[in-house]
Amino acid sequence: MNTLISSFRRNRTFWITLLVLIIIFALGVRGLVDQEAEGGERYKNVVITILRGLSTGSIIFLVASGFSIIFGLMSVLNMAHGAIFMVGAYVGWTVAVRPDTVVDATTPIALLISGFLLVPVWDQIIKKIKISPALSRLWPWLGLILTLLVLGFLLPKYPITSWDVGSYEISPVNFAFAASQGQVNVPEPEQFQGISPLIGLGGILLGSILAGITVTGFVASRRPTTAGRAPQPGALRKSLINFIIVALLGLLLYIFNTPISNFLYTLDSTWLFIVAILVAVATGAGLGILIESTLIRPIYESHMYVLMLTLGVNAIIIEVVRSIWGAPEFTMHRPSVFAGTGEGCPAESFGDLLQYKCSTIRILGGRVRTYNEIFITILGIVVLIAVWLLLQRTRLGMIVRAGVQDSEMVKALGINVQRIFTIVFSLGVGLAAMGGVIGAPSTGLTTTLGDSLLINMLVALAIGGLTSYPGAAAGALIVGLLQQFIIKYGQIGINIPFVEEAFKPSPPLVPAMTVLLMVVILLVLPQGLFGRKE
Amino acid sequence: MENNTLLKVNDIHTFIGQFHILQGVSVEIPKGKIVSLLGRNGAGKTTTLKSILGLAPPTQGQVILDGEEIQGRRSYDIANMGIGFVPEHRAIFRDLSVHENLLIAERKKGDLEKKEELIFSLFPDLKRLIKLPGTNLSGGQQQMLAVARALVPDNKLLLIDEPSEGLAPVLIEQMMEAIRQLSAESTVLLVEQNFIVASQLAESYVIIEEGHSVKSGKMVDLAADPETIHRYLEAA
Repeated sequence: MNTLISSFRRNRTFWITLLVLIIIFALGVRGLVDQEAEGGERYKNVVITILRGLSTGSIIFLVASGFSIIFGLMSVLNMAHGAIFMVGAYVGWTVAVRPDTVVDATTPIALLISGFLLVPVWDQIIKKIKISPALSRLWPWLGLILTLLVLGFLLPKYPITSWDVGSYEISPVNFAFAASQGQVNVPEPEQFQGISPLIGLGGILLGSILAGITVTGFVASRRPTTAGRAPQPGALRKSLINFIIVALLGLLLYIFNTPISNFLYTLDSTWLFIVAILVAVATGAGLGILIESTLIRPIYESHMYVLMLTLGVNAIIIEVVRSIWGAPEFTMHRPSVFAGTGEGCPAESFGDLLQYKCSTIRILGGRVRTYNEIFITILGIVVLIAVWLLLQRTRLGMIVRAGVQDSEMVKALGINVQRIFTIVFSLGVGLAAMGGVIGAPSTGLTTTLGDSLLINMLVALAIGGLTSYPGAAAGALIVGLLQQFIIKYGQIGINIPFVEEAFKPSPPLVPAMTVLLMVVILLVLPQGLFGRKE
Repeated sequence: MENNTLLKVNDIHTFIGQFHILQGVSVEIPKGKIVSLLGRNGAGKTTTLKSILGLAPPTQGQVILDGEEIQGRRSYDIANMGIGFVPEHRAIFRDLSVHENLLIAERKKGDLEKKEELIFSLFPDLKRLIKLPGTNLSGGQQQMLAVARALVPDNKLLLIDEPSEGLAPVLIEQMMEAIRQLSAESTVLLVEQNFIVASQLAESYVIIEEGHSVKSGKMVDLAADPETIHRYLEAA
């Protein structure tokens, strides 16, 4: 009891802030109660608004949790996080609507990855060959030019059946529209033009091997001569086997391209959605590894440069997405389990919901969308618990919690912090990509998707405390609820005493209000609700 | 003689930022002995430990562990060769429990289980505290935990920085006893401001002044040489 009181005293500001937030929330809820309605229906608006808030908060949380763990561990403010959220959405859409394109793209990607798996082998070979320092600095550049020539010539020739942003008939917008009508139109698969497939595939493989050698050369020329460790027994054989597996996988995907595409087209949209989530997470995580290991790693120490770099990456990603998928907005249809509208819909109970797969369910007389409001919220909670378990119950989580405080000591314990950084970065970014696919059916796809989310996420983290995991969850929840309440009040208006007309907050006020809340909370609690006092 | 040396630091130079902190430090540590690094505040003692571990890599000179040159390697590789580190401010992980603070030091699964008995016999208090979060420990308990953490994997060499700093006299006594017991099985490089503590524990010493190692020898000789102590160790 005494400890309770003393903890209350120490964190007085925190408890008062929390109390004020709860009072504001209670007032907000009270204002939404419909006094004229009967029984449970009076709370219709309350329930719907809270559910929408939870769902908005879930999406923000999916992105914010990864961002905050990355920042806590590596002091990297990854401004490209929102862009990768958007990439997740577009990749997910592509899997759901045009799986053939994704299958086409996997072969060159697998071949490109395979070359880099040989890096440990080249590293040992380069160490054995003694050449002058000048030469060892020069040859990687020659390798780079050669790599770019080979890949630059062959990659554009690789046949990927996709769409054409320029013509409406075969634009993403049209494919999205057709898919939402339940139609599937498969374009003719493209073939190698002008060169034989053997040269095309072999050339890309050769290019990726060259790229691997080049990268090894660059890394080796920067390293002091005595550095480097003896290879672990079996490590070289393992990297060789990995190379063969991934290269073969690429080849197999090429050979069985058409059957796989056809199979994916026959899948129900729910299964395809699950595939979409997996592919998007893999794409996000892969991009994360690429960005972390090539761009961020060399400049870890200078936080300002990292910030500017990731902002630049953000802009580049947005433009690349715009050039591939085009600028116009389009939609993604919901998976079939959440799209039923026929018999028995809207569902009256959760039993009906499962039976008829309705897109909406009636709660207290109001219609709640199963995908947007219920599924996304449940998924947000699942991810919240899963990441928490990962942090608390696994060795990786233990190292992350330790590294957030003192990564130098973690190094001194013999732990390869660099590798942990890469893993955490790719996991965090993968979560953001997952948020993108999950959010796409409810928000639609635009290239500015990431920007607004990035702002919301930063606000949520500032409110919750930048590096605190519970803080990320609380901040996301608060921002989500606040936004949805303001949107709702924008429809029904707030009755202000002595004023004739009800005040209706207009939509542009939504982001303004979240920022206002952040300013107020930061004035009272500079480290956020759950941030640690330094 | 050569076979008997576990670690040899040979004329290393280390920069931190743009500051040339170490300008020629040499230390030789025989197997199974305790060697103490002495010197005033800011002389470069902590930096020497960090240079050995690669946390502040030396730009010149060699660090030789068991006959193998290790300078320029990555810190975690060096640590994994069997070096335990007890840093100056203990660096106990706040968000980890005492048990997790020990567990994280495992290099392979089961390390902690093997050493549990030794650790609890050296520091009986830790057994009682095992479930507490790292934040809730007193300074002395944190110091014990920091030493215990370095004992979890099999280390040939322990680098211990200021173990007596900020401890009550009773606890200093206990810590010294623990270090003495440790040196039976492993080699220790000890940085210590408190000369009384250092002189009772270590067999030999190296004095560092302004980034140079200026004097080394047997501890008994130093204790009998008030002039050297006055010149290098007493507050100027």
